[in-house]
Amino acid sequence: MFQKKICLLGPSGVGKTSLVKQFVEGTFSEKYLTTIGVKVDKKLVDLAVEQVQLMIWDLEGIDRYCGFQPKYLRGASAYAIVTDHTRSQSLVEAMEIHRMVREVSDIPAILIINKSDLDVAWHWTESELNGYSKEFVRSFSTSAKTGEQVEDMFKFIAQLTLN
Amino acid sequence: MQPSLIQALGIINCAILKRIEGKQFRVIHCDKDWFYSIAPEAKDSEVFEFAGNSAYLDDFFIDAEEFWRNSSEGQIHSGIWSEQTEDQLLRLEALAAVSNGDSYLVINNLEGEYQKQRKTLQAARELLISNDKVLAQHEYIHERLDQVLRENQTLQTLQKPIKRVIENADIGVVITDAQLNVIIQNPNSYSVFETSDLPSEASPFKKLLELFKNQCVEFERVIGTSSRWHGELFWHNPPYSSKWLKLALYPVTDENQNLQHWIFIFSDVSRVKYLLQRNEKLNLYDNVTNLPNRQFFWQKLEYQIEKAKPFFIVYLDVKHFKQINELHGHQAGDQILVTLAERIQQCISTKDLCARVGGNEFGIILTDCKEQNDCVEVANRLIESIQPPFYTASKQKVQIGLNLGAAHFPSDASNSEDLMKFADLAMFSAKKEDKSKLCFYSIELKEASQYRLELESALKDAISKNQFELFLQPIVDLNTGQVAKAEALIRWRLADGNLTSPDKFIPIAEQTGLIVPIGKWVISRATEMLKVIMQYEPELKISVNLSPRQVADRHLFDFVTQAIDHSGVPAKNLELELTEGVLIDNYDKVKLLLDQVRNIGISTSIDDFGTGYSSLSYLQKLPIDNLKIDRSFIIDLEQNENDKAIILAVIAMAHSLKLGVVAEGVENQYQADFLLDNRCTVAQGYLFSRPLPFDEFCELLIAKKHANKN
Repeated sequence: MFQKKICLLGPSGVGKTSLVKQFVEGTFSEKYLTTIGVKVDKKLVDLAVEQVQLMIWDLEGIDRYCGFQPKYLRGASAYAIVTDHTRSQSLVEAMEIHRMVREVSDIPAILIINKSDLDVAWHWTESELNGYSKEFVRSFSTSAKTGEQVEDMFKFIAQLTLN
Repeated sequence: MQPSLIQALGIINCAILKRIEGKQFRVIHCDKDWFYSIAPEAKDSEVFEFAGNSAYLDDFFIDAEEFWRNSSEGQIHSGIWSEQTEDQLLRLEALAAVSNGDSYLVINNLEGEYQKQRKTLQAARELLISNDKVLAQHEYIHERLDQVLRENQTLQTLQKPIKRVIENADIGVVITDAQLNVIIQNPNSYSVFETSDLPSEASPFKKLLELFKNQCVEFERVIGTSSRWHGELFWHNPPYSSKWLKLALYPVTDENQNLQHWIFIFSDVSRVKYLLQRNEKLNLYDNVTNLPNRQFFWQKLEYQIEKAKPFFIVYLDVKHFKQINELHGHQAGDQILVTLAERIQQCISTKDLCARVGGNEFGIILTDCKEQNDCVEVANRLIESIQPPFYTASKQKVQIGLNLGAAHFPSDASNSEDLMKFADLAMFSAKKEDKSKLCFYSIELKEASQYRLELESALKDAISKNQFELFLQPIVDLNTGQVAKAEALIRWRLADGNLTSPDKFIPIAEQTGLIVPIGKWVISRATEMLKVIMQYEPELKISVNLSPRQVADRHLFDFVTQAIDHSGVPAKNLELELTEGVLIDNYDKVKLLLDQVRNIGISTSIDDFGTGYSSLSYLQKLPIDNLKIDRSFIIDLEQNENDKAIILAVIAMAHSLKLGVVAEGVENQYQADFLLDNRCTVAQGYLFSRPLPFDEFCELLIAKKHANKN
């Protein structure tokens, strides 16, 4: 069994903690509770050929109150950038975070567009989104509330850590 | 360490461990069970080795070990982390310390601290997110509408998708004509004001306009000058409700810069305000720049007025901020405002107050400034502070300019509303300048502003009312006395028959963008004139002046080629004149344009040469044909040796670069002789002819032709 560290990064309020909670505990809360600092969760992921113990580092949202801290990426095998499709600005900020990460690390990255249970309220066109997605190994449209694509996304990222 | 000492030092709820080696530690202090849930191996043994139960702590050991190895004093922190143990969620922070050669690890349980910090951050982040959503909706609706309205002047052909967007928008959208008559009012605008479309109820737009008029001193200026504005209004509807509304209004103009529509976008931001009010600091401070906000500014202004001591207020606006936002994005725009706020604060004293009072507008109360000179000094410092470039997050360099308007208490006004209104008016006057400038409010300024508004309004109609005339000033070959070229000069004949000087209306046209349609008219008219003139003088050229704004218009070249094709005149009979300033400010655009026009055979001249800052390398690199020596050097030629030296240098430079040289403003024979003696063979000025109406110019050509025959 391998143990692999992955990081979840993104602007505040996009649902990083909720994604982890859904994946690890299978629960969801409507109430937004901001994360301070870091929380590390573990979950064993069964892949076809291998078992991977994922160490999921859920990092505080990066915004004007909390800057990007490259040290948290130390030892990580992959990372996910999370955005919220009800908020246009979250993608702009996410891409800025991705750019900052890319300055210090070249580990594989995926893009998560969260809150798919809610109506799309951002105004990015398909082609704009495709343009942004190109910078990632893959993008997922997830819902931490319904669980849509959450398991698949974490399985994919677990697989990614082995490549 | 003694438990009593630890308690006395206030060190509570922590584990203090002394490092022995590697991850082996001795427990110095630990009286709470939570520690054993992350390090069960420490239970019942004074010395233990961490078994790696906490991934976060293990990661911190990498930094800590380096610190213990290399440092003789001090400490480093791990940052806060949450650790889920079997029965509780811990909020922890570790610190590695070195003291008197010994290494320590302290793990603090920060539960109380964490909850306090979370409470503040929670409110701040909820606010950020709510605000983000409102802003994004405003931006989106505005961008879509602006584009569509520019293309569909009548609104009849408003595309279905955009209609749907307006109908279904979560925010109020009202579109009016130029006279503020409502054309479209979406369902949400009724919801915002809790009203219906029954004829008995006042329309949402009427209520909105009333609030804007009553609550914002900028109202008259914004509507009168067709400016964009955004800010907040408070709607009080006793006894039922009251709301904070965010309003943004945008003028939509046609290609001739005539106002066609207004777009009003507004939404209920009471929730954002509520979130702000949960935190006193956020309530009175702007969350982008951390400066006091508009409300705080008004409170302080009232307070300052109550003190009844003289002071100045300065209204500061960032030049062309809209373009900065469009070019670099809103985040970059915000970053520039943050840096600017920091720089402003370094220019004022701690007793003064600087607040962000609008999107790109700041209000400054200079409590210690009693004389205009004091205020000028502060303004100079502000202007100097923006000289170093600003940088966006992606490291792009941005240069900004400031419009500064000042009003004095009590000599200009003795109440806060008038003071703000007058400082705003003075600031608007400073906008006329290309460079950063401070303008003081005065009665004359108010009258000038009124005159300017009237002129601007009349200018908008001048093309359709056929009030422009194009005069031609002959440019003469000094050797032969023949007309070699003519410069096209615009004149504006007002309804009363009087001519308005271009010095008065061209700067307004340039500033409002009207110069683009006016410039097009000049080019069209000049090519029509050429068609007639070529019957008498097939080789004669007409030169047309281009303004900076025209050069920046990406459709200019297409228009010039169309005008030439339409009139059927050869391109070589047209010449374009640009000033030195345009070359420097817009080098890349100018290079492209000059290359394009050179390719089709149009020649170019640099106007007013010698007054700007032309670099020799520009002149070498750009496809230029002629230099025109500015009239200011010619006027005092007889008396001024320096002017003579400059003229000789320009002539020599032109010859060495194989450029033609033309002297402007020649008024007497001495000047003409001097120029001819020094190999400047082409000139224009009153000595030869004033600018002539087209018919008179043709008569002059015919007369010259007859004279030559005889």
